[in-house]
Amino acid sequence: MQRSRIIRNVFLIALIVAALGISYNVTGVDFPRLFRDLPKGGPILREFLSPDVFTREMETRTIEIDFPIPCGSAPAESEVPASGPRLVPSVNCADERQKFTLEGFDLEPNSEVIIRWNLPDDRTMTAIRTQTDANGYFTSEVEARPIAATKDGKPSQLEVDTNTPVGGMKPSQALKDVVDAMFVTIFMALLSTTIATFVAAPLSFFAASNITRKGVAGTTIYYVFRSFFNLMRSYDPLLMASVFGFWLSFGAFPGFLALTVVTIASLGKLFSEAIEGIDSGPIEALQATGSNQLQTVVYGVVPQIVPDFISFIIYHWDINVRISTIIGFVGGGGIGFYLSEQINGFHYDRAGTAIWAIVIVVWAMDFLSAEVRKRLT
Amino acid sequence: MSSLFHSTLIPCPSPNWREVGVRAEWRTIMLRIQNVTKTYPNGTQALKNVSFDVKDGEFLVVIGLSGSGKSTLLRCINRLIDPTEGKIFWDNTDITIASPAELRNIRRKIGMVFQQFNLVKRSSVMTNVLSGRLGYVNPWLSLVGIWPEEEKKKALQSLERVGIADKAYNRADALSGGQQQRVGIARALMQDPKLILADEPVASLDPVLSHSILQYLEQLNKEGITVICSLHFLDLVHRYATRVVALKDGVKVFEGSAQEIDRAKFKEIYGEEAQEVRAASL
Repeated sequence: MQRSRIIRNVFLIALIVAALGISYNVTGVDFPRLFRDLPKGGPILREFLSPDVFTREMETRTIEIDFPIPCGSAPAESEVPASGPRLVPSVNCADERQKFTLEGFDLEPNSEVIIRWNLPDDRTMTAIRTQTDANGYFTSEVEARPIAATKDGKPSQLEVDTNTPVGGMKPSQALKDVVDAMFVTIFMALLSTTIATFVAAPLSFFAASNITRKGVAGTTIYYVFRSFFNLMRSYDPLLMASVFGFWLSFGAFPGFLALTVVTIASLGKLFSEAIEGIDSGPIEALQATGSNQLQTVVYGVVPQIVPDFISFIIYHWDINVRISTIIGFVGGGGIGFYLSEQINGFHYDRAGTAIWAIVIVVWAMDFLSAEVRKRLT
Repeated sequence: MSSLFHSTLIPCPSPNWREVGVRAEWRTIMLRIQNVTKTYPNGTQALKNVSFDVKDGEFLVVIGLSGSGKSTLLRCINRLIDPTEGKIFWDNTDITIASPAELRNIRRKIGMVFQQFNLVKRSSVMTNVLSGRLGYVNPWLSLVGIWPEEEKKKALQSLERVGIADKAYNRADALSGGQQQRVGIARALMQDPKLILADEPVASLDPVLSHSILQYLEQLNKEGITVICSLHFLDLVHRYATRVVALKDGVKVFEGSAQEIDRAKFKEIYGEEAQEVRAASL
């Protein structure tokens, strides 16, 4: 007896250890990489942490000079003015891959400088960003890129923008876009929660044993609805969103549908459990007065479940804001979609704005729903 | 079935029969419990072949230990619990085979007062009292919460009769236990009941409040409503009962007047170890 138990326990422990070992292997756990790859993650993290929230009104001035590559392929800039805002390259033409120094004089002081190539085919290619000093001077090393070579006798131009901040701060475009997308998400969650409530609230009575589970017909209905809710609940919202997404093509609407279906199941289950938890005394009392089934529900059940229902609804709205963020990632619209777009476009500062917005909204919803639920008794 | 009653159908001359001095045997039988047995699905036999009659205007008290079947018996009368066997006659109809619609009509005339009051705690006192009238009013209007003025007036009158009209618009759970039970009585009154079933109406209350609640029931009884009430304390039984039925393990072991319960009978009903406790001495 004693021995067989020891054997059984040893066997169990061996099984658990083996399972953990397999899990470790398939996951490819490599904690040192966290530190090894820090240089890669660092800049992205920095951009995330410095979200694009405000911009200042900028005044941009542009100066350009012709710069033939290679030398002699086109006439070079004839003479450099001696005063005023001007660009002075150390050579007035260059061979491919030759490096030279570009200086700027008497530009706007303390401004952002963007040096770019204006290619012969009218495309532009940003080369370097730098800054002017208090005298409006900058110097920078530029490489004569092969792509900037002269074409059909038309040379590339070296173009320099100076961006000078004027006036006050204002919300950036990213912030405006994030706020818009956030509204879409919040209202998508609100609408799906509302519609789900209207569907789930009546249905939940059929899945409440103390109301429905009477007789053969009642028991059947009870099990049908209970299984329906359980089955629907087991589909992940993300999966559901993908299904609707393939069906209706991606956008806010399929995301909203997915959210609604999942919320119906989830609220239906929560509601039916709230109904099952009510005090049966008043029900008995109402039946004893000769009231019919529906009157008993309206006068005996409903007043008892209202606080629970409201609390579940708010709680689910809160959850749905979070879920719809994730659904947005698979094309469901709203802030999630914006976020995925920005990450795919390497605009990590805008992604940072979106992430901060999500954090703030989720926190606020959480706080709000907790406060409202506290007041419902 | 109606022949059952012909021998006893002598109309009650006046609701105030005590004052008129009509002898109990002459009054009409309003309820006949006939060989009622209740076996729960788990096999518990709560009632075993119980029979007795209830006459118009009685204050019948049912006594017995906890679990002796008192609550089951009262609930069989308005069929909150379906008896397994036996018949219960009310106005020449067998309650046990009444259709749902008939049953609701019968229930309208049978008020019920509960040990735990069974009020909807979050609803107002007014709504709780009005709900006693649900069997009478237009069901569709009642579902959307519309009540005729005269019903509201009636509810306030009912509350006045139990002395708490000023609490009409309070939430039910804001009231003390004694007040809640009075709301329970007001709700039963809304039914214009011929019979009130009171299941341990004072067992959840401070013993000093027992008399105040039972006096309301006594008053209603004097006004002509028959009362069947289960009670624990023997001194309350002596004070209020016009007749007593005792149950032990689901079997009727005594039927008679309270005065007939002597020491030996008491031991028989409550068992050898029982000691009499008086509500008044608490």
